[in-house]
Amino acid sequence: MTKLWRTQRLTQLRGFLGLFAVLACGWLIISVANPWTVSLLILALYYSIGGLSFNFLFGSLGMFSLAQPVFIAVGGYTSVYLYNTYGVSPWISLLIAPVLAVLVALPIALVATRIGGGAVITALVTLIVAEAATPILIAITPLGSAVGLFSNSPAHITFSAMQFASGADFARIFLMLNVLIIGFWMWWKRSRFGMFATAIKDAPEAAESAGIATARLRLGVFLISAAIAAPAGVVYAQYFLLTSPDLFLGSLALFQILVVALVGGATRPWGTLAAAILITYVTQEASNLSNSNPGATQLTFAAIFLVMALVAPRGLTGTWDLIKQRRSPVQSGGLLSIRIPASASSRMSDGVVDAGEVQIQSDTVQPKQVPADETRTEVRSLSQTTSSYIAPIVIQDQQEDCK
Amino acid sequence: MYFGQLLVLGLLAGAVLSLVAVGFTLVLGVAKVANFAHGAFVAVGMYIGYEAYVTWRLSPYLTLIPALGFFVLAGLATAEIFERRARKIGEVGELLVGLALLLLINGLLEALYTDNPRTLSGVSIGIVFVVGIGIPWTQLVAAISTFAIAGALYFTLRNSRWGRALRATAQDPMVAGLYGIRVPVARRAALVLSIVVAGLAGILIAPFTVLTPEAGTTFLTSAFAVVVIGGVGSTAGAVTAGLVIGVIDSLTGGYLSSYWTTLAPLLIILAYLMIRPKQVAF
Repeated sequence: MTKLWRTQRLTQLRGFLGLFAVLACGWLIISVANPWTVSLLILALYYSIGGLSFNFLFGSLGMFSLAQPVFIAVGGYTSVYLYNTYGVSPWISLLIAPVLAVLVALPIALVATRIGGGAVITALVTLIVAEAATPILIAITPLGSAVGLFSNSPAHITFSAMQFASGADFARIFLMLNVLIIGFWMWWKRSRFGMFATAIKDAPEAAESAGIATARLRLGVFLISAAIAAPAGVVYAQYFLLTSPDLFLGSLALFQILVVALVGGATRPWGTLAAAILITYVTQEASNLSNSNPGATQLTFAAIFLVMALVAPRGLTGTWDLIKQRRSPVQSGGLLSIRIPASASSRMSDGVVDAGEVQIQSDTVQPKQVPADETRTEVRSLSQTTSSYIAPIVIQDQQEDCK
Repeated sequence: MYFGQLLVLGLLAGAVLSLVAVGFTLVLGVAKVANFAHGAFVAVGMYIGYEAYVTWRLSPYLTLIPALGFFVLAGLATAEIFERRARKIGEVGELLVGLALLLLINGLLEALYTDNPRTLSGVSIGIVFVVGIGIPWTQLVAAISTFAIAGALYFTLRNSRWGRALRATAQDPMVAGLYGIRVPVARRAALVLSIVVAGLAGILIAPFTVLTPEAGTTFLTSAFAVVVIGGVGSTAGAVTAGLVIGVIDSLTGGYLSSYWTTLAPLLIILAYLMIRPKQVAF
């Protein structure tokens, strides 16, 4: 056990070092890039935070929440409203916004965690929340209704009002937020709570009977994911000097976050950041190619989803894990996991499977590395083939009777 | 009098909601798939009606029969994708495919028609007076069709062999399979049926609705709201819940402010889910 623990600590240390390298490289790239690239980077890093908040929830508990843009919007409105009305610095709003986001998320989290259904039902319920957010914001007059609020920030450069000479500083703030969130997630994954969450995701009943406070932890993870999202809204609103329902909650904003998150994959934190940069670039190119036709972005997203459904349903990191797992079939020591190839599992349900095809492998790094689609046995094909089992048996019986 | 007017208008609007939700409840119940593109097919229907009227100067109602064929084909294709691919990957696959279809249809409609709202002004087949309120025949036709289609579905599901097969699949796919019901076929049938009903509903409401490509998402959420309150898999429940939500929409819009029409049903559904969270388990 100590060996396992030491290996885990080592992997974690390596992860944090890698994260620091990303921060340093990102900082340099932002310093030398031209303004246009920086504006794209800001978009990418902003969507990356949204995606991270989504993937933190999805990866930890398998809950598919489409309500994350709402929490980002809470951040945006907090900063502009507080600055305009009370002159509160956006830097302080960075701390207030997560608290408010948690308050907004609480009723949503109560509904989402209590319905207990899988990803699909959570997705539908949270989609309703995301749809409801715009009319609610429009109904509140102090928040500027449909137009939104323009920030009264001073025109000159003021650090306390989060106003800078160029976009590069905003990009740096976004980069630091990203690094903080990824670092938090990396710590979380190895922490007690992260392990609890994995247990709840994989076997809720077993986790419950092992004494894990399932309901409270699910609620907590949902609230944390909301708190993660809010600071992104604060900085984004300061960057545009504007907060409006359309900026945060337009249907494309919702899907942009979703595409980034799903392409990134929920198993490892870095995938989301990579996906955000990739997707921002691809959508920009697609939009240019089609002379900014309004439907182009949506069609690009549709194409990305379809390709993912066909090739890599678990996104970049899910595919990465799969490749790694195939490359290193056996490692010494550690916990056991049984791997059944997809081809064998489909045949197993038909009743024919070679014992040799079921591999037992051990792995030190992660106890659970079996993607769900590989071990799924299909009830459907079982029921389809059952009639063909029964028929020959009956005939045999009759033949024996004749004898 | 004002109340009566709002009530009748609410019932008419609710009838449309019911029609969209009837298909959705069937898919959730039988195929156990949340087809995120369900509402998008309503939008496709609406634009088919628009195209027929604006380009060919035809009454939208004349497109119902050819569109039926089109939606059967579209439904078969969608069902094929869901069965062949999405189901293999699990829930994430269903979401990926559903969202991809939703975005594909939205994107195509937006590329073809831009996102400016459009209306079919001029399609009129007269006005009928009910309790002293003038109601366009177009709305009445949509409402009557709702009850006809929902009634037909209800009795088919209850009494025919096919209906029993679908209900058995909804209850327990594995046991249904053991009894010789071809479960994958039943699931495909439910998807095709729901898409056909959604598409035809789109054509029926085109003459009196504001057409936007985004309507697909709106119809998806309202259909889901109706299904949650009506109970998953229940045709009669969907119709009743649809009418109730329609009336609440109309009353809140009439007595309070116009934005309540979008907000009220969403708040109702969230409150309802707080009280009865297990209602949506399917």
